[in-house]
Amino acid sequence: MNMLRSIRGSLLHPLDFFYDIQFDNRARLRNAVIIVAIAIFSKTLVSLLTGFSFNDKGAYQISVFNEALWIVLPWLTWSVSNWAVGAIVDGEGKFKHILISSAYVFIPYILFNIPFSIISNVLTHKELPFIFLLDYGSTAWMLFILLVTVKVLHDFELGKTIWVTLLSLFGVLLIWFVCIMIFGLVNQSVQFLVDLYKEISYRS
Amino acid sequence: MNALRKLSFSVMLILCLTFAVPPAAFGDSSYRGYIYNNLEDTPLSINGYLYLDSFDGLTTSAGALNGPEDIFVAEDDTLYIVESGNHRVIHIDRNNQVLGVFGDAEGDGKLNGPKGVYVTADGDVYVADTLNRRIAVFAKDRKFKKQFGVPDSPLLGKDFVYAPSKLIVDKRGYLFVVSDGAIGGLMQIKPDGTFAGFFGANHVGFDWTRTIVKLIATKEQKEQMASVRPPEFSNVYQDSSGFIYTTTLGIEMNQIKRLSAVGVDTLNGKSENWYGDWYMPSKNDQFLISAFVDATVGKTGLITALDQTTGRLFQYDKLGNLLFIFGGIGQQDGLFKTPTSVAQTSDGMIYVADRTRNRIDRFYTTPFADLVHEASALYVDGRYNDSLGPWNEVLRMNSNYDLAYYAIGKAQFRQQKYKEAMESFKMAHAQGAYSDALFEYRRVYVKEHFGELMTALISLFVIIRLFIAAVRRKWFARLASLRKGPGKELERNEHA
Repeated sequence: MNMLRSIRGSLLHPLDFFYDIQFDNRARLRNAVIIVAIAIFSKTLVSLLTGFSFNDKGAYQISVFNEALWIVLPWLTWSVSNWAVGAIVDGEGKFKHILISSAYVFIPYILFNIPFSIISNVLTHKELPFIFLLDYGSTAWMLFILLVTVKVLHDFELGKTIWVTLLSLFGVLLIWFVCIMIFGLVNQSVQFLVDLYKEISYRS
Repeated sequence: MNALRKLSFSVMLILCLTFAVPPAAFGDSSYRGYIYNNLEDTPLSINGYLYLDSFDGLTTSAGALNGPEDIFVAEDDTLYIVESGNHRVIHIDRNNQVLGVFGDAEGDGKLNGPKGVYVTADGDVYVADTLNRRIAVFAKDRKFKKQFGVPDSPLLGKDFVYAPSKLIVDKRGYLFVVSDGAIGGLMQIKPDGTFAGFFGANHVGFDWTRTIVKLIATKEQKEQMASVRPPEFSNVYQDSSGFIYTTTLGIEMNQIKRLSAVGVDTLNGKSENWYGDWYMPSKNDQFLISAFVDATVGKTGLITALDQTTGRLFQYDKLGNLLFIFGGIGQQDGLFKTPTSVAQTSDGMIYVADRTRNRIDRFYTTPFADLVHEASALYVDGRYNDSLGPWNEVLRMNSNYDLAYYAIGKAQFRQQKYKEAMESFKMAHAQGAYSDALFEYRRVYVKEHFGELMTALISLFVIIRLFIAAVRRKWFARLASLRKGPGKELERNEHA
């Protein structure tokens, strides 16, 4: 029940809700994890349920791990990046609060996409504008909640909120880039060591 | 002892049986049949064409072939083969009997490294005499008739080098010549030898990298960069109804074109179509691109095109749907080293010239290909219902053949069996067509079940209204209780 109330709060009174969450130990990591788990579940469900007109993936092509990656990775990297950027520009947000609040961003996604994927079975390409409307609507709502979390948790005014959000998004890309680069470098150096070992073992 | 004899007898029997059966069963092929589906996978498919035999000229009076560059099939199904190594054109019939040799006699008609040939309906043989920079024309009786020299026109520019390699002659007697390195298109030459302009030129498409580089580069850097040239044609073919087909080198899309009388591409239209293999081999960390060097078109509009990079032949129907892939690069029969030309006789037999191997390979259609061709001919004419039977038979033989599902879906759609059509389009992974079928199915369904649907809609509406009313009553009740005394909600607000 507590969970449902918090979801309602984040959707209807986001400013109050994300303000209140910082006090009295109300921010529960458990709730965030549950929301992310539901988001993963609903993303998988959406891939399965969407009508063939809009999605020609067979059930055998859907991997829960892959779907989870596209929810969990953005969530974690966003939290890290937003916390780091916030810390530099005098934001007041704590990492735990950012982590938990940004999980609530997925709620419009969950609410919109499962009903839509069911409806899409009777929709055709002639109704594409309607589909775009729904899609953009849910994205805009998610973006709004994201902005609210940044504003409330760090206590910024609007202009700074948007600037910090853009910076954090850039930070997300930077984190991914660095991770891929490190992976590549480690991969090459391991390969180098393996080759070196092979060379020596052939010569001796 | 007896046991030993029994053993040796059975060993002998096994050996005899092993060698009695030919090592390669009939129909075994040096290449694996496959096809592309709409998921860009390459499922196995039954081979449409199999290797039959080769012609290398060794046993004929003309002697061995040397560097065959082009094959032309005349209307009476006799073959004209251009040999750039022997500097001649030989004329053979279906049974590999030499009917005549063109251009080997000393005199005006002596050819030098010819690369292309075209024979008109009245038997005049036009040869692209590449190294002599002319088009030589021979009469039926192999006598040299006339020649078309280097065309003279200010349109061609100062640095133009004329190297005619392939040609066709249209019904008016106009020549359409592919000149190696000419980027303006096919050269149109009037019957009197004057240049009548370029035809069906390729264009340089928009390219992001090039645009960005152009923005950044300095003037000196720009001068050092190679200027971008429009891709050049590699070959030209004219079908029985006068359509001109071209193949183009150096591009990955729309390599095959069907040009109308005014030079408009009617095969691809405005869309960008991929011909040849999707998954290409790579060399020095770079993916190779297809090099279509020749195409031939059958009576029903079947296009068979030859890709020199992979050595494979790709057959498409009139609409550009892929039907068969066969051939390849290799040593065995049925594979090629440097395939240069493809031609087709009226019975569907396909001839491929190999420049390095100095021979002409012959391929015959399998029963599966005959079936697909039958179905495809009906399908491209829009006779979907008649094509249902053959397509079903195709699927019975090869359930990986996506085009058959699509065609069957089209037929079912026309028969207004929308539910079945949806299933077929789903099998073919055709989302657009599925959506159209769903639209019709939905329309019919709503029409038939209008009463039920309206009842359901109205009752849903009523239930939602009742639910909202109930929720509201609950909220009002809670609000009233909050006003009476400080509840939990108020306490929370005090912190703020």
